[in-house]
Parts: sequence; structure tokens; C-alpha cells
Amino acid sequence: MKRHTSVPSDAAQLSTLTQFLQEFWSAADLPAAETVSFELALEEIFMNVVMHGSPAGPVPRVEVSLALCDGCLTLIIEDDGPAFDPLSLAAPDVAASLEERRVGGLGVYLVRQMMDAVSYQRLGGRNKLSMTKRVREPTP
Amino acid sequence: MFEIQLGPAGAVIMAGRLDATQCEAALKFLDGLAAQAEPRVIDLSRLEYIASAGLRVFLLTQKRSKESGAGVRLINVAPQVYDIFRYAGFDRIFDITRAGG
Repeated sequence: MKRHTSVPSDAAQLSTLTQFLQEFWSAADLPAAETVSFELALEEIFMNVVMHGSPAGPVPRVEVSLALCDGCLTLIIEDDGPAFDPLSLAAPDVAASLEERRVGGLGVYLVRQMMDAVSYQRLGGRNKLSMTKRVREPTP
Repeated sequence: MFEIQLGPAGAVIMAGRLDATQCEAALKFLDGLAAQAEPRVIDLSRLEYIASAGLRVFLLTQKRSKESGAGVRLINVAPQVYDIFRYAGFDRIFDITRAGG
């Protein structure tokens, strides 16, 4: 099962994308407990694109696709904004004291923790981030 | 949907989804409260979802609260929200009580 959607890189579109994900979840009848990993990944990566988009140029377009294959769900987020590899961000120190805590980099760190595999490619002037996680046991 | 309000017992109550588009409103509400009295307890029994932007709201609240007092406690935290707090290492810097625990 596959679905695709496309929105402008604008924070106000986050609810549209969340709804897209929730509709896929219902249609594919996936376990409710796994939704949060993908909702979080979608928010973190989409908001990164929104924040790193070119301030002066045209608003980047963001393409989002979901593909379920043999119990593994893959979320791909692509945009035509400036090159930016979120996986290059340094991991935050999640053991730091309150005084030393920073939130920067925490989003991508959470995505890495919650997904089975994450990869970035810059292809033909586009950023492409793929995230995969097993959400259901494979059918025998 | 996201809601934040002051409960009858003085705890701040959050409900729904604290995503990136709701954080400004949540911070503004907490700032307004702090001008009167720093909140001590935030009840998260009806908070369904949080991501890093939402975690920032709690981090800023805790930093300010610890400057002047004992800090804020998070109570009745649902399992899927607790997992995210734990991944972020927030169990080290907050007093967190899980739902039903």
C-alpha cells in the first residue's frame, strides 16, 4: 500500500500532513501504538525543512510518501529547498544537567531513536530523507 | 487540538496534541501564570502527543521554575508520551509520575 501527498513548506501545513498519516494508518489498519513514532518523525523532519528553507527564494515544496511493505512502513520526505542533511546534526547530550540542556538537535535524535533505519540523500537538487520501521509482524 | 488550562486544584492541565504549532500558545499561558505564581504541577493525563518543540516548552518552564523554587512535577503521563520524555533524558531533570503509577 502506498500514498503520496505534497504541501508547501509552511508550518501551517503540519496538521494536513498529520491527517494524511492518520488516514493512512486507518486505511492500512496498523497498530495504534506505532503511530506516535511516525507522527513525531513527520513533524520533526517537516519542521526542519520549514526552518531551513531559503528565506529569500521561493517556498520549497515538500513531498511526503508512505509505503507499507511486508509489515515495514517507510516514510519519505523530499523537498526542493537548500541542501540540508539533518543527520549531520550533532547528537544532543541527553544526560546533561538542567542548566546545560539544549533542545537543538533533539528532534532528529528522537527520530533516530524511534525508527529502525534513517537515511539522507541529496539527489537532483532535492533533499530526500527516508525513515523505516517495522510496524507489524510479516505475514507468513 | 490542544488545550491548556489551570485546574481547580492549582495544577496546569494539558490535553491533546502539543505539536510545533501549539507551543507558542502553551508558553504564553505558562508565562502568564508565572507572573502570578510559578506552576508546581502539570497534569498530562490527557496529553496524547509531543515532539521536540513541545519538549522545549517543558524545558524552559523547568529552567525558570528551578531558578526560583523547587521545579515543576509532571504527573499522570501516558505511556507514549513518557517514552518520548525518556528518550530525551527528561526523566533525569524532571520528577515524572506515569499514568496509573
